Amino acid sequence: MVAAWKGTRTALSGTAGTWLFVGVATLILLILLVPKAVGNPPFFFQILVYGLADGAIYALIALGYTMVYGIIELINFAHGDIFTLGAFIAIPLVGIFGFTDATPFSLGVVVVLLGVTVVTMAIDGGINILIERLAYRPLRNAPRLALLITAVGMSFVLEGAMYLWRGANNVHFPDVLPETRINLPGGASIGVKDVVVIVSAVVLVSLLNLFTDRSKLGKAMRATAQDREASQLMGININRTIAATFFIGAALAAAGGIIFGLYFNNIRFDEGFTAGLYAFTAAVFGGIGNIQGAALGGLFIGLVASFSNAYFQAALTDVWIFAILILVLVFRPTGLLGMQVPEK
Amino acid sequence: MRFPKMLAGVAVASVLLAACGNSGGGGGGSSNKGTIKIGVDLPESGAETSNGIPTLNGVEFAVNQVKTVDGFTLSVDNLDDAVNGVHDPQKGAQNVQQFVDDTKVLGVIGPFNSNVARAEIPITNRAHLVQISPANTNQCLTKTVYIPQSLSGVADVTCQAAGLPAPADLRPTGTNNYFRVATTDDNQGPAMSDYAYNTLKLTKVAVASDAEAYGKGIADTFSARFTKDNGTVVKRQDFPNASHISDFRSFLRAAVAAGAQGVYFGGTDSNNACVVRNQMTGIFPDAAPFMGGDGIVTGQCIKDAASRAVGMYGTVATVAAEKVPGASSTISAFKSAHPNASDYGAYTMPAYDCAKILIAAIDKAIKANNGNMPTRQQVLDQMYKTDYTGVLGHTGFDSNGDTTNKAITVYAVKDATTGWEVDTVVTLT
Repeated sequence: MVAAWKGTRTALSGTAGTWLFVGVATLILLILLVPKAVGNPPFFFQILVYGLADGAIYALIALGYTMVYGIIELINFAHGDIFTLGAFIAIPLVGIFGFTDATPFSLGVVVVLLGVTVVTMAIDGGINILIERLAYRPLRNAPRLALLITAVGMSFVLEGAMYLWRGANNVHFPDVLPETRINLPGGASIGVKDVVVIVSAVVLVSLLNLFTDRSKLGKAMRATAQDREASQLMGININRTIAATFFIGAALAAAGGIIFGLYFNNIRFDEGFTAGLYAFTAAVFGGIGNIQGAALGGLFIGLVASFSNAYFQAALTDVWIFAILILVLVFRPTGLLGMQVPEK
Repeated sequence: MRFPKMLAGVAVASVLLAACGNSGGGGGGSSNKGTIKIGVDLPESGAETSNGIPTLNGVEFAVNQVKTVDGFTLSVDNLDDAVNGVHDPQKGAQNVQQFVDDTKVLGVIGPFNSNVARAEIPITNRAHLVQISPANTNQCLTKTVYIPQSLSGVADVTCQAAGLPAPADLRPTGTNNYFRVATTDDNQGPAMSDYAYNTLKLTKVAVASDAEAYGKGIADTFSARFTKDNGTVVKRQDFPNASHISDFRSFLRAAVAAGAQGVYFGGTDSNNACVVRNQMTGIFPDAAPFMGGDGIVTGQCIKDAASRAVGMYGTVATVAAEKVPGASSTISAFKSAHPNASDYGAYTMPAYDCAKILIAAIDKAIKANNGNMPTRQQVLDQMYKTDYTGVLGHTGFDSNGDTTNKAITVYAVKDATTGWEVDTVVTLT
């Protein structure tokens, strides 16, 4: 029995297992969703778009979790709050330009938003480097548990600071993107906002992929993730590489925060708690340490939540998400696309 | 067994204070016999500031008007039950324990939230201490039935069936000490239902809630009554942890697809109720109404709804003092004493009447006790005899402690800059 169990696990761990999982998941989705989709295709398409847009935001947060875990095996619980902090930093910056809900959309708005995004990514990334330097680096060789608890503590510190800064209520993010909808054949339509969210996430994930694949620093990050000591012996500056990882993770989360703000127009000091939990789940689901896996996991969770709220019981949405996570982990502990973590 | 001891303490205190001489005051020239405290327990910090502070202001305004009663000086002993900016049942329980331990406290005004009341009532009940809430609306605090057949048309749903303790479970002495001037949530949902069907002319509505006792309760009673009104609830969802949900659009899209003309959301602004309203943009027609209970009749709700604030309707389970003839002089006196707009809230006048009703009961209890400091039980006995006409109209109490005044106010946002305004008062039949 146990042997058979282990055998199944081993058989499912390779590439064949990946395809088997994708196949089974697709099959279940088809059985559940095809009748609904056929009943009202434009509606189905709309729910799909919502799921993709929400998933894209989770994906941007998940990247930070997965990169940090990949390189120092830390579940950085403060990462969700770094996401919220991104939006909170952007709100006063956008405010400088006098943006309100009534601001008409123009090329100038796009330029300002891009500028604000870059500045916010830099500030948020800088703060995350500071957190790493002060809270995590001194504990790098301490037991993992100490580091984990420190990360939980940092999460509360950040939430507390944001609570003191902006209060307990939702903070409004100016609604400057156009509400225009693009009509598609067959009666469906897609909002410009949805397109902006999905496209920016795709661009950012692709850039990150290119960066880790091609750039010198990206290669150093992958090398450090594989074997820290060996990388050091090869002349890689470990501290700088890890700091860069924290910077990039936070910059992506900050972009996610701004996108969230532009998309939903309301953000609260503790938004990062659940968003972070979902994103962490996405990272584990896709295979922690694996960038494509995290992006895939984010999209998956967004879609499950969206379909569950539209077609099934909203009260059971979280149950679905975590039941699927447990099932995946039972049969394939390395996640959907396989873990990429330091070798022991 | 501490009861006689407490009385002795009071007597000693009264004699000592009386010996201190005549300190004057507005009590008709009688000597100062000591202090009677009115405990106030409300959520007053963080996100709850806008709930607690205007309500506290109502109590303080009433006490400052009266100042002394039969030679006793009245004072307000105020405690905040919010922890980290959110109302907290355990903190509330600690607060009322403090009031129970202070023999000068003859009555408690509060709490604001029904779940806090559930933690507090057993404590005040053991001490026979009168508690009167300006804002609690959960029906299971006073009644055994959660959704009565008379409202829904189907069989009674009991509190136990709804997962809430029955009133008897909260009252270890077997007698009641708890009163409220707000009517109950089982009336809030139906009142909005009648308004939606008769005034807004809606026949198909989507209903959701934040899955908390308050939110789900008003959503359930709204749904039940709307069906009875011949309307159709085309989509029904509950969102646990709604404060952490950022996207409600799939639900809204599904609601429109099912033919909904408007949305009823049972929940509070802190659970993102008004974010739901904001996300109706582009999914529902601009004129589609958004409805809810008193949890959305707040300034924060208007901020969250942003460009979609207009067209929101919310019930408050009390009479709007603004619509009561004879209340206007008190309201304008309050507003000249407290000129800031944030000083006045939906529960300021209910809290004012709570204080006046409690003071009236204390007054009668003192007189019945030959001018001496009455016991808590004596004050409690007088509460049941309440026959008071104030800024909410006429208030009396039934044997459960519920007000006999069953009027519910519908507030609406007609202009985002002026905010919530009283639309009409609905009395359930």
